[in-house]
Amino acid sequence: MTEPNLPIASIKGVTKSFGATIALQDVDFDCYPGEVHAVLGENGAGKSTLMKTISGVLAPTSGTVFAQGKPVTFKGPADAMAVGFVCMYQELSLVPDLTVRENLLLGAPGSGLGRLKGGALPKARELLDQIDGEHIRFGSKVSDLTLAECQQVEVVKALIRNPKLLILDESTSALNSSVVDKVFDLVRAQRDLGVAILFISHRFHEIEALADRISVFRNGQRVETFRNGDQDYSTIINMMVGQRIDELFPPKVIPKAGAEPVLELRDFAWPPKVKPTSFTIKEGQIIGLGGLDGQGQSTLLQGIFGLLKGTQGTILINGSDAPKSGPLAAKQSDVGLAYIPEDRKADGLIQAQSINENLELAALGRSDLNATDHNIYKPSLDRLELKHGGLDLPVSSLSGGNQQKVVLAKWLALAPKVLLLADPTRGIDVKTKTQIYALLRELAEQGTAILLLSTDYEELIHLCDETHIFYDGGIVRSLRGEDLSAQNIIGASLNIPDVADHKGIADA
Amino acid sequence: MTTLVKPSQLPAWVNIESLLPYIGTILLIVGASFTFPQVLSIDYLSQQLQIAAFLGILAAGATLVILLGHIDLSVPWTLNGAAIVATAMAGSGNEILIACAIPAALLFGAVVGAINGLGVTILRIPSMVWTLAMNSILLGISVLNTGGFNPKGESSATMSWLASGTVASIPVAFLVWMTISTALALLMMRTGYGRYLRSIGFNERAVYLSGVSTKTVVTGAFMIAGVCSAFAGVMLAGYANQAYQSMGDPFLLPTIAAVVIGGTSILGGRGGLFGSIGGALFITILNSILSVMQISDAWRSIVFGVIILAMLLFQTLRKRG
Repeated sequence: MTEPNLPIASIKGVTKSFGATIALQDVDFDCYPGEVHAVLGENGAGKSTLMKTISGVLAPTSGTVFAQGKPVTFKGPADAMAVGFVCMYQELSLVPDLTVRENLLLGAPGSGLGRLKGGALPKARELLDQIDGEHIRFGSKVSDLTLAECQQVEVVKALIRNPKLLILDESTSALNSSVVDKVFDLVRAQRDLGVAILFISHRFHEIEALADRISVFRNGQRVETFRNGDQDYSTIINMMVGQRIDELFPPKVIPKAGAEPVLELRDFAWPPKVKPTSFTIKEGQIIGLGGLDGQGQSTLLQGIFGLLKGTQGTILINGSDAPKSGPLAAKQSDVGLAYIPEDRKADGLIQAQSINENLELAALGRSDLNATDHNIYKPSLDRLELKHGGLDLPVSSLSGGNQQKVVLAKWLALAPKVLLLADPTRGIDVKTKTQIYALLRELAEQGTAILLLSTDYEELIHLCDETHIFYDGGIVRSLRGEDLSAQNIIGASLNIPDVADHKGIADA
Repeated sequence: MTTLVKPSQLPAWVNIESLLPYIGTILLIVGASFTFPQVLSIDYLSQQLQIAAFLGILAAGATLVILLGHIDLSVPWTLNGAAIVATAMAGSGNEILIACAIPAALLFGAVVGAINGLGVTILRIPSMVWTLAMNSILLGISVLNTGGFNPKGESSATMSWLASGTVASIPVAFLVWMTISTALALLMMRTGYGRYLRSIGFNERAVYLSGVSTKTVVTGAFMIAGVCSAFAGVMLAGYANQAYQSMGDPFLLPTIAAVVIGGTSILGGRGGLFGSIGGALFITILNSILSVMQISDAWRSIVFGVIILAMLLFQTLRKRG
């Protein structure tokens, strides 16, 4: 803080190209001590490349990176860490087979090649407790943690390295809002100590809550940098997409009178993680599942798709009993279930195989479909405007949002009656989100029952006709219409009774 | 001889990884011909094709299992067991038993493969451990049956013909090998089963979540591998006119080496049968030329190991570059 005008990290005239693709083009960018600098942009706008350039993962094709005013050349992340640039990556960088303790100590200060010293551990415990991680034991294996718990550990792992510049790249994407608030408190505390924070998120309300300055990127270039609050929501969106998006969410539709139930759960349970749960999705409806992480809502989706052994109760689809024996039975036309898994990179797609091969994988086991006939995928791909360099290229060549489009098209080719989605828009850019929302609404109108698990309460409010909030394995509240508000969702997620009745108090 | 069969219609299969063993084979033959011109003779080459067939059939089955990211270490005693079954039945003198000798041996291989597959898929025991245990159990059963002596029996005429016969001066064994490889390559390329098999090697969870019975696919692959091992056992018994203890033991590591030299990733997913054919040819020719050179066994082993390491190193470096 002695030289407030000297940026901790800055880049000048940086261009980074991968073959013919230019990811960053002549970018100047500064990050000052004691500020939270948010970076906004669609997927593929160059945000992650920017972060990777600053954190030493990628070397710029041309241009210079400065650390505290001095030009530096990073040979790798270790060099960047040596000058205090610590990055928490979008792809989690924990080693699954090691324990939390071992992961925290990997490369932590004071633990060199020799004996592992636990000096940083008390601090790590304290930080973890501050962000609702009391239940995460140091002895647990990382592979046994949920995605949200991994992100909590990642946050702590970055913080115990005493960063001068902390880069958070989609670091809170799997966390629910109450944990996010606590992480933000930690980040603010760091900022007040003079740490510079670079922050990428696709959630506007998070950026509104946290950022001091905002830079918008589009097509590898910085469009503008401004103070938080100087520009309104729609202006920012216009900067990001370069075109006007009036509505992020499609309008809700008043359900037809006499709409038939498509999916009916009757006392569906998987003890002890899911308590007996009953609800109905009628034609034209999008039903949301919300709540804190690990309250049973994602287990419920897996159970409906038949991934769990020993589920109880009944699933009715169009009035007939659905088998619970597994994905093969679930995807047949007489059942018509489709499941979009939470982790699209690992569970939804085979990264090394081509887009075509990935598209065909679900339709292959259906005798009534010709999986190699690409006309069955085309409508969804066109509808979602998949951007690709050729359908024979590996799916890993696509950006996250486009990968999700492939997962959707793969399942929509089966014309499912019920579409189960586990957080389908996590870490996806605004434009793709809008496309997915519009598609889901369209499918609902065509009679597909849509069950959407989401960690983004804007989706639960604006996209869903009704949202069931889970707590401790069961539905604690079902919100619809006027009741479907952020306050009620958060209140119900924390199982605070009757938030609606005390609304005035909560506001005060 | 490298152009005899291209089991793939897709050029993607004929990549540098899978061509490498063919190039290596040609270099070996050309190099050796300066000192030993007889290696260019039709007799020598046709004999090599015949010998390579035993390894090649084993490698074809092993390719499927390795593409899944699994491994089958029960190859030696599946082969041996099938050879014992076949020779025992063929040597019985009973017409019906003689006629059933080969099918029974193949059935034996399929059963062993099914047990392997079920152990790996249902009991979830790593294939490396499970198939090693199976190999040991089969060894034990065989010793109990024969009292540790070479089993009685002899090969049938069909078995001998499969191993040593010729059609239009092409070894039958080679034709059998090519038929099996082509059939499996078509299975891999043209059927949903093949697609599943390759996909599972990359990401089993994603395939399962796409609504595929991955257990069936994996068990099927182990059964095919078991039948291939059994077929090699039948042919080897036909070649030696008998079954003998430990006849399969020298084949285990060369089988895996042939598959990996052929460009199939030991971690699963990448690779194919075309490369494995080349791998089997390369290893057979290498072995043969090393013995023609009449160097000591110790040096033969060292040179064999070094050359195989060099091939693998080349494959690894190429993938990185």
